[in-house]
Amino acid sequence: MKHTSSHGSFQEPWWWKLLPVASVALFLAVWHGAALCNPAMLPTPVETIRSLFDMLFFPTTQITLLDHVWASLRRVLIAYGLATLSGVLLGVLFGWSRNFHDFVYPIFELLRPIPPIAWIPLIIMWLGIGEGAKIAICFIGSFIPVVVNTFFGFTTLDRTYLKAAQVLGARQKDLLLEVVLPGIFPNILAGMKVALSAGWLCVIAAEMIAAREGLGYLIVRSMESGNMLNILVALIFIGSISAILSFLFSKLEKVVCPW
Amino acid sequence: MDDIKIQVRGLTKRFDDLLVLDNLSFDVRRGEFLSIVGPTGCGKTTLLNILSDWWAPTSGEILIDGQAMDPKVQNLAFVFQESSAFPWLTVEQNIQFGMKEKKFPPDLIAQRTREVMALLGLEEARNKYCHQISASMEQRVVIGRSFALHPDLLLMDEPYAQLDIKFRFHLEDAILQLSRATGSTLLFVTHNIEEAVYLSERCVILSNKPTGIKAIRTIDLPYPRDICSPEFVSIKDEITEMIKWW
Amino acid sequence: MKTLRSRKKSAWWKHVTGVLVFLLIWELSVRLGLFSSQQLSPPSQVIETFFAKLTDPRPDGETLGVHFLASFSVTLGGFSLACLIGIPLGLLMGYYRPVYLLVNPIFELLRPIPPIAWIPIVTLLLGIGAEARIFIIFLSAIVPAVINSYTGIQRTPQTYIHVGQSLGMSRWRIFTRICIPYALPTLFTGVRLSLSTAWAALVAAEMMASVQGLGYMIQMGRLLIKPDIIITGMLTIGCSGALMSLLLTLLENRLTKWGR
Repeated sequence: MKHTSSHGSFQEPWWWKLLPVASVALFLAVWHGAALCNPAMLPTPVETIRSLFDMLFFPTTQITLLDHVWASLRRVLIAYGLATLSGVLLGVLFGWSRNFHDFVYPIFELLRPIPPIAWIPLIIMWLGIGEGAKIAICFIGSFIPVVVNTFFGFTTLDRTYLKAAQVLGARQKDLLLEVVLPGIFPNILAGMKVALSAGWLCVIAAEMIAAREGLGYLIVRSMESGNMLNILVALIFIGSISAILSFLFSKLEKVVCPW
Repeated sequence: MDDIKIQVRGLTKRFDDLLVLDNLSFDVRRGEFLSIVGPTGCGKTTLLNILSDWWAPTSGEILIDGQAMDPKVQNLAFVFQESSAFPWLTVEQNIQFGMKEKKFPPDLIAQRTREVMALLGLEEARNKYCHQISASMEQRVVIGRSFALHPDLLLMDEPYAQLDIKFRFHLEDAILQLSRATGSTLLFVTHNIEEAVYLSERCVILSNKPTGIKAIRTIDLPYPRDICSPEFVSIKDEITEMIKWW
Repeated sequence: MKTLRSRKKSAWWKHVTGVLVFLLIWELSVRLGLFSSQQLSPPSQVIETFFAKLTDPRPDGETLGVHFLASFSVTLGGFSLACLIGIPLGLLMGYYRPVYLLVNPIFELLRPIPPIAWIPIVTLLLGIGAEARIFIIFLSAIVPAVINSYTGIQRTPQTYIHVGQSLGMSRWRIFTRICIPYALPTLFTGVRLSLSTAWAALVAAEMMASVQGLGYMIQMGRLLIKPDIIITGMLTIGCSGALMSLLLTLLENRLTKWGR
């Protein structure tokens, strides 16, 4: 049996295309079944979707679902912007200056393994439960991957580029701007990608612990009031936005970095 | 005729409307060293994929000892352009891989491994992994793994394409030695005419698409061949001309 | 730009000096009043608290050892389950397309949900016991395990498969003797990622729905306004995580000495 994929030597049976559909249908069926067994605990898929639409288009609460979404997004974007700029800066410093690296990197390595979520109690003690605290936590979550990836770019940079540039008489400043930064750019992008999903994760976590609006706040309030329907709607939104952010970033990546 | 090991009969390959291989037929004798050359883009890759049992032909068949080619029944071995040595196995384990899969008896495996490693100069590296050896050694490992089976058919696709020129000569001689020691039937695909004339007893010359057999040139120069001798050069030029003018 | 020149062994004294200066600044900033002792504890205090907590269950209810064990056992449970189920699933998904087509849609639906967001739904359904936390960890940790496993298999070069086929190997044998060994390094990366994800998820779960564990401990530290407890907890969490990752790396190096 030849099972290569090239040149149509192996034809997928037609019914394979139906498998994903069957899979999702099975998932919904199991959900529905479980909901029927536990009507108090678990709403059906249909009820969930209806509730989602209601919350979106016919809000009854003071703060609408979209307000929550925007609150969360706003915090992530601010933190993400700050984290990217400072993260690239620190990463470049680590890579560019051996002395700076030797003195400061151990401190970074000491703090790095601490999950951003574990910073929450300390940050809340310092900054209260306002916007600053949540942005700070997202910042930590996004900052670390950017630094790590940027620095990693330095260690894997092909030295021949540098030698070539130096032979051509490039000065240090030019070396950095013209050769190194473009060279490590894919790594920076990789770090930014991780940082984005990390930031989203952190904002939800921070909001779940101390906030008055945001998707994380919504989901934790719903947990406290036992409102499964709201939990599921919030969950769908959290997941969807996460997927959309990843998707947008991939598209951006192709435009900015086609190689 | 017991002497014929491999029969290629009416091999045709069509991709939708495009006819790539057109009714190719040729025989290969037992233990013969046959080379296949052709102009670039002449469907050599397609032919290779079919000869190595990777793609099925649209029509036609390949018979080994009178039976349809079947890797489960016969011993087949292929050496590709890209290295196919397994990085998670040592040199020795790589060489033994095929024999173990075919369930050869352990003493036979040990004996063949020793022979092959000696002929290819791999003894010192026997416990090394692929990332510790050079690219040419890796190809030698693959060649060793293939020959250790004493295969019914050994198909090689430009095995030196990615190696330095100085290794080619060593490896070419090693292959000649191995082929005589094992009595394997060898099909050697290359675009390097000099190599084809140096190594093979007969040379199949392919035409442009739709690819057929332009000619089969017998090269009956004695071994070891002298690439500077006038006979060598004239055969080489003759074959080169046949490829160029199509 | 000396980093990019020869990679000489760096002077360890620079590392030590850097850390010491950091600790000094930290210590002085509290002593000189930059931070109140309610906001930040100096390193001297943290060290003292650390040693105290090894035996003293006050003020949060358990000793450091008990918290650590609680966290570690729950993590281990969720993580092992995630690998036990996730790795074979991922491997099969990578090799058998029908399996991939069947499982992937569900997976893609669940993947974008951050681990911490599972806590409300799991807590409502399963309560706040250890099983609930193990389940949350399982949901978080299974994602990298599956993804890296099937990526590893899918990357198997066609040439290797061709070799297997030419030797008459069955599809299953090619899977086990060629694809899986090839995928091992990628798989290990997935396992390491799975562990760090598990550990982070555990901290989150403990901060929200638990009565013991390191995450609970640092929450308590905040409620009792004891930054030394918080920092001790944070550093314990950090160091444990790093240590576990190191052990995994050592295991990986032993199993894949053929490192690509």
